Formats: sequence, structure tokens, C-alpha cells
Amino acid sequence: MSLSAIVTPVVGSFGTALVPTAVALAVALLLFLLERRQDPQAATVAPFAALPPLAGVVVAPARATFVLVPLVVGLAVAMMARNRRDLLHSECGLKLLWVLGPALALSWAGMELLTLSTGTSVFAEQWAVLQLGLEPRFLWSTALPLSLLTGVVLLGAAPFHFWMADLFHGARAWLAPLTAAAFQVMGAMWLARRLTGIEAFPAGAEITGPMLAIASAVAFIAGAATLLGQRRPERRVGTLASLHGGLMLAALAAAHGREDFVDASRAMMGPWATHLALAYTGASILARFLPVAPGLAAPGATLFRRHPITALVGALPLLSLAGVPGTPGALVWLDTASTLAATGHPGVLAALAVAWLAAFATAIQQLREGFGIPAQGQPPERPTPWAARGALWIAALGLAAMGAAWLGRGFAG
Amino acid sequence: MVVLDTVGGRVKRGVRLLTTPPRPGAQITGMLLCIPGMMLLWLPSLWAAALGIELIGTAFWWWARAAPDPGREIPRWAWLRRPAGALWLAAALHTVVPGLSHQLAMFRQSLELWRHVDAIAVMWAGLELLAALPLARPYSDLPGPLLGIRPWLPALLPAAGFAVLWRQSPHWTQVAVVRNIAEVLLVLTAVLAALRAFGRRRWTASLRWLVVSDCAMAVLLVDLAKVLPGVVLMLWLAAFGGHSFLLAGELRGAAPRRGVVLSLLWRMSTFVTSAALTWPALVSMFPASTERLSALGFPAVGIATMLTAWINVGRIVEAPERRTLMRADPAVTFSHLGALLGLVIAPVALLGALVTGFHPSPLAGLASILPALAGGGLALWSRGRARAEARARVQAALEAAHDGHGTRPAAAYGRGGHRAEPPVRDEGSAQPTHAGLALRQFARVTFNVVVTLERTVVSLIARFANAVTSPLRDLNSGDAQDYLLFLVGLSVLVLVLPLLR
Repeated sequence: MSLSAIVTPVVGSFGTALVPTAVALAVALLLFLLERRQDPQAATVAPFAALPPLAGVVVAPARATFVLVPLVVGLAVAMMARNRRDLLHSECGLKLLWVLGPALALSWAGMELLTLSTGTSVFAEQWAVLQLGLEPRFLWSTALPLSLLTGVVLLGAAPFHFWMADLFHGARAWLAPLTAAAFQVMGAMWLARRLTGIEAFPAGAEITGPMLAIASAVAFIAGAATLLGQRRPERRVGTLASLHGGLMLAALAAAHGREDFVDASRAMMGPWATHLALAYTGASILARFLPVAPGLAAPGATLFRRHPITALVGALPLLSLAGVPGTPGALVWLDTASTLAATGHPGVLAALAVAWLAAFATAIQQLREGFGIPAQGQPPERPTPWAARGALWIAALGLAAMGAAWLGRGFAG
Repeated sequence: MVVLDTVGGRVKRGVRLLTTPPRPGAQITGMLLCIPGMMLLWLPSLWAAALGIELIGTAFWWWARAAPDPGREIPRWAWLRRPAGALWLAAALHTVVPGLSHQLAMFRQSLELWRHVDAIAVMWAGLELLAALPLARPYSDLPGPLLGIRPWLPALLPAAGFAVLWRQSPHWTQVAVVRNIAEVLLVLTAVLAALRAFGRRRWTASLRWLVVSDCAMAVLLVDLAKVLPGVVLMLWLAAFGGHSFLLAGELRGAAPRRGVVLSLLWRMSTFVTSAALTWPALVSMFPASTERLSALGFPAVGIATMLTAWINVGRIVEAPERRTLMRADPAVTFSHLGALLGLVIAPVALLGALVTGFHPSPLAGLASILPALAGGGLALWSRGRARAEARARVQAALEAAHDGHGTRPAAAYGRGGHRAEPPVRDEGSAQPTHAGLALRQFARVTFNVVVTLERTVVSLIARFANAVTSPLRDLNSGDAQDYLLFLVGLSVLVLVLPLLR
């Protein structure tokens, strides 16, 4: 059996949602075990049980129903708040609760208002009833945007982007990436479900279409401005994640009002979600080894000085998040931009371009800060754990395989 | 045992080599990045050009981080990411808007917008590398970050700018507004660079600015589109090649200026190549009509041409021989060949332009050659005058010495007859312009005033942008303010959205 006969199916399997997410899960397990090893008092492995459900949401977004959302949010918040000695972790959980709780409450209020006014909880029927024009406009035009709010907040798109940076900064490296990816997938699904069939109610589509376009443009511009001002590497990764939320908003805005809205949005959602899982995993590990705003002429980080090749390979997820050409993430950015251009959204496309340039510049700056200037004397004594280096390699190779698989069969399958 | 020890040592060394492979130094790493980067710029693909500039920027950063003073060198060359970013944007635009490549009839509605963005991005990248934008204009004043070839290194950047703008010319010359803006900026750059070259005492710094002026003039020819791109390339190669050869030569003991014949040859070569490069531009900008821009452009380019010719003829002087025992050099060296090559290429390129449809009127042709001739003539006149003054001073000094006054001969020789200037080394690092202190002061002050004004405007804009975006940064600090923002945003959303009808 030739080598290509083995490699081709393996690489091809990274084009599916399951394998990359499983790799992300495996990396999380590696990091989790590393943490247990460094803290023998917390010897239980039970917390890891929270990750498979989160990975399940990423693998099968279509199953993320409205009921599942509060459950998953509650699970993530509980995971963060369970260790009372870890103040940063608990604070992060409380912040999430503080943000997502009101958002869920408002959205549910909006959905209930629509149900009350139309007399049905089935969305397709709601559009048909509203199309009759019997309901006061003020009621449904308030309820409709409110019902979408949770989707936008879960996507982490600006101005609701701050929780994402907090999550990557405050939560554990094994927990934050899959949590962020699962939340964003649920947000995208929330919006996609809620807007399905709205083309049957043109007055509603006239409100939600521009709203999505404006929200995505704001997400890009505010996210870019925030990204350039961030100093902590973890928060930079978080802000990049919020830009990916903006990407999904833009994709939904581009597909909005079309008859194939469901198919178009899900076709984009699959690769987007699996990319997020792997890229967040790799980037959040690397961020832990990067210096915090050291200035342009400070010595490099330990990882970059002792293991420059690992650092370079491990930078692939960060570069991919930023959409640096040649990485899988660039395909996500360019595909969204192409869709926006094809559907006539020049304003959103311009905002996306600004965000892309800011993300690109930040990723390169982050790498340069990581390498720093050559340190005089001996290399630093503190080693980088092999498990962390292994995790970086696995995440990066997984991402490379995903990129190869996408190129082999076309981005959206 | 000794054999075993030797074998064991070799095995150990081999294992160590495998586990910790040798890391190339900063010089080699930078070269490995920079050379492919420069080569990529000549490919037609915008992606290749963007990658090329990114690699060059990375090479400069790599050299800067290894420089003796990285805290100063790294920020100095950080601007190189801007042109790379602009080119990445242009390349991405072509990927996402296929209509820009004129292959599809789709996207007509927004095509003009993206065509403008594309043109501006490519123009920005090229002009910034050419020192034609107010953001990083004075970079040629200072040497590069790599110790070995520091004075020569910045000459790469205008060459990269020319390569981008020449190779990617269809992207920016097809948009009239962009083209007009580029024309104004290029003329201004040519004048400023010539002024700076004229005003600088250090010969290597002068040469760096002459390179900028050459590249600006060459891109101006691309912008005017009166001659074929191949002709522009040949003219640029002759002019830029001559000055960069001289610059490289200064690092090798001023080889191109060793001996009377060589210095004369190079004086002729640089004069001819620079004049040949600027002549088509002057002819094209000759104010045949009442267009204001052309009327301003012709004298501006004329001044730049005159100053360049003055420097070429006036400042290339024979390098003093310091060896007591002369080495037997070959009769024809690379320096001879370089100068002769310029003397051949430039006229051939002009001939090519005339053959391929560039037919200037006799009046415009004659008027356009005058600035170069005037510059060369003024240089010869001032050289003659300086020589006569020096001779008179030597004579006076000898007479004084004969009378027993004991005047120091070094002071008598001076530097080109300008007593007010501090003494400088005779080793080619600085040479007299033979232009008079007042003229050089005027050139220096003019350049400094323009650059200071530009910097003030840029700084004001940057401060304004900073002030506008600072609340965003404050509200994303991770503390309770973020959540206040969330609540405010939510309330606004609830109140405003129903009003969207």
C-alpha cells in the first residue's frame, strides 16, 4: 500500500466536522491532563466530561435547538464557577452569566410576544399570520429584533464582543476554545432558525436584513478598533474570535431573504464551526506562551527562544484566525467576502476588509513580539511542558490537514 | 580507546546537530527572506507582490532585531508592513470581486468602487516604498539595519516600489483620479529627493536620495504612459543601476571613483542616464496647453532634473589614492563596464521610445533637454571656480609659509572652498557639491519645512483617530464598564429598532 493511499483518506477525513473536532477534544484532554499533573490536589477528571457535549454542538449544529442553548450556557458557567479558589475562572463564569442571562431573557420575551400576537409558536405560521397585517407593527417590530438578540450575543459580535475576550483570558485553556466555538455555533443556529422562512413576510425581512448587515459591519469596525488596542495575547485571540462571529453574521446577512437561506447558511456553518474549534484550541494555547505587550525591543518569549520551530508551527492557528493567506482561515474570510460581493453588500465588505487588515497586522505583530530580540546569554531555564508543545503541534497539523482537505474538495463541500 | 573516543564524540556531535540544528545568523536569514521577496515583485500576480513586500518587511525586521540598537531600528522599519497590507488588500479584492479582472459582467453596480479601492491600494503600496507618501518619507536619510551593508540597504525600497508600480501598472493607471494624484505626489517626491540629495553632505546619503529621485521619475513615466513599459524599465535600469552601483562601490573603497578616467566615465554615465530618464517625462509634461497641472509639473520636474545633473557632474570626484604601492588593476574593471553599460542602455532605450511612437515636437524636445544641460553646465562652472579658488589659496598659503607666518596647509586647501563647513573625511564618505553653502542650505531648509509640515498634518490625523477610538479600548478592559456598555447597547437597541421602518 502506497503512502498516498494512507495519507489521502486521513487528510480527507479532516474535511468532515467530526475529525477536526475530535482532534480539538484530544488536545483539550492533553491540556487537561497537564493541568491535573501540575495540580495533584485536583485529581478528579470529572470536569472533562463537560467537553464532549460542547464538541457535540460543534459537530452537529443542526441539533442545537432553542432549549439546548440555556443548558449549554449553564453547563459552561457551572464549569467556570465550580472551583471557588480560582477567582479569575469564577469571575469569568459570573460575567458570562451576567451577559448571556439577560440576553436569553430578552430573546425569550421577544419570542413569546410574537407567539402571543400571532397565536402560534411555529415560525412559518407566524410569518404567514403577520403577513395578513392584522397585528400592530410596533409589537412585532419590537419583538422580532429582541428574539434575535441571543444569537448576536452568542456570536460574540461587537458590541457584545467583550465576553469573548474575557472567556479566553479568564477560562482554562482546555475549556475556553470549545466553549467559545459551541456558543458561536449556537448563536449562528439561533439566528438561522429564527429567520428561516422570513422571506414569506417581506415587511419583517426588510427589518432583519439591514439589521444583520449593520450588525456585521459594526462587529467588524468595532472589533478591528478593539483588536488594535488589545495588549494581552489571550484577549487578542478573544477579539479575533468575535470577528469570526462577525463573519457568520455577514454570511447570514448575505444569505438573508433568499429561498435557499437554510441551505446556504448551513453550508457555510459546517466548515466555519470546525475551523473555529481547531483554530481556537491552537491559538489559545499559543497565547499562554506569548509575552504581554512587551514593546518592540524586548527579548522573545521562552517558547520562541527554546523551540522556535514549535512556535512557528504553533502560530498557524493564530494566523488562520486572522485570515492570513495560505491558511484555512483565509478561505473562511475570502468566502464570506465573495458572498458579500456577489449579493451586493459593499458597506459590509468594506468593513470586513478593514477588520481583515487589522487582524492580519495584529497576528504578525504578535508573532514578532513572540520572537522579540535575540536575548544575550543563556536560554531561559524554565522549560515549556512537552504536553503543551505536543498540543500546539497537533492543533497546527490538524488545521493544516483541514486546509488540505478543503482545497481538495472545495471549501463548502 | 582513542579511536572509540573519537567515534563517540562524532556520534555525540551528530546527535546534537540533529536535536539542535544550527541556526543561521541574522544576516543570512534576512537575505533568505529579502532576495526571494525582491524576485516575487517582478511576477504579475498581486499575491506574489504582496508576499514579496511582506518578505522584505520581515527581512528588515529580522535585521533590525539583531542590530546593535534594536529599540531604535525596529520601530524605524515597522512601516514596511503598511505597503504589504495594502497589496494583500488589493490581491484579496481581486479574488472576491472577479469582475475586477474584466472576465465577468457581474457586480457592475459596485465595480467602480472596488476598482478605485484596488487602484488606491496598489498606488499606496508603491508610493510609500518610493518615499512618496508623507508617512515614511525621510527613511533614505538613515542607513539600513544590517551592519554589513547599512548605507546601501535603503536603496532596495524605492526599487521595490518601482517594481510594484511598474509590474502592477494596469491596476492603478486605469483609474484617472488615482493617476492624477500619483502624478502630483511623484513630481513632489522627485523634487524633494533631488533637493535632499543636493543638500546632504554625505555622499552615500546623497546617492540614496538620487535613487529615490530616479525611481520617482521612472514611475512618473509609467503614470504618463507616453512610452512603452519596456522602455521605462530600460531607462530605470540605467539610471537606478548607475546610482546603486556607485552606492555599492562606496562600500568597497569607492572603487568607481578611483582614477581620473573612471570618475570621468561615471560622471558622464550618470549624467546621460539621468537625463535620458527625465527627458521623456519633461517632454510629456511640456505645457503645450493651458493645463495648470502640466504648467506646474514641467518646471518642478525641470528643477529636479537640473539638481540631479548638477550632483552627477559636480559631486563625482576622483577618490584620493591612499596606497603607497599601487596594485596592478586590470585595464577594464566592473566599474568601467557598469559605466559603459549605462552609456549604452540609456540611448538605446530612448531610441526604442522614438521608434515605438514617442514623437515629441522639436520645441518640446529641445526645451526638455535644457534643465539637464543647465545642471551639468552649472556643475562644471562651479567646479572650475572652486578649483581656481583652491589654487589661489594654496598659492597664498605657500607665500605665507615662505614669509614665515606658518599657516596650516590643510586649512588652506579647505573643503571645496567653503571655510564655514566643518572638516570631513577625505575617504569618499563626503564630497563637495561645489554649489555654495547658501544653495545647499536652501535645499536643506526647503526639504525640512515640507517634511515637518507633512508630519504635523499626519500627527494631527493620528491623534484625532486615537481620540475617537480610545473609548472603544477603555470599554473593553475586562472590568464592569464592559457590562455597562452591554446594558446601554441593549437599551438603545430595544428603543431604536422599532423605529427602523
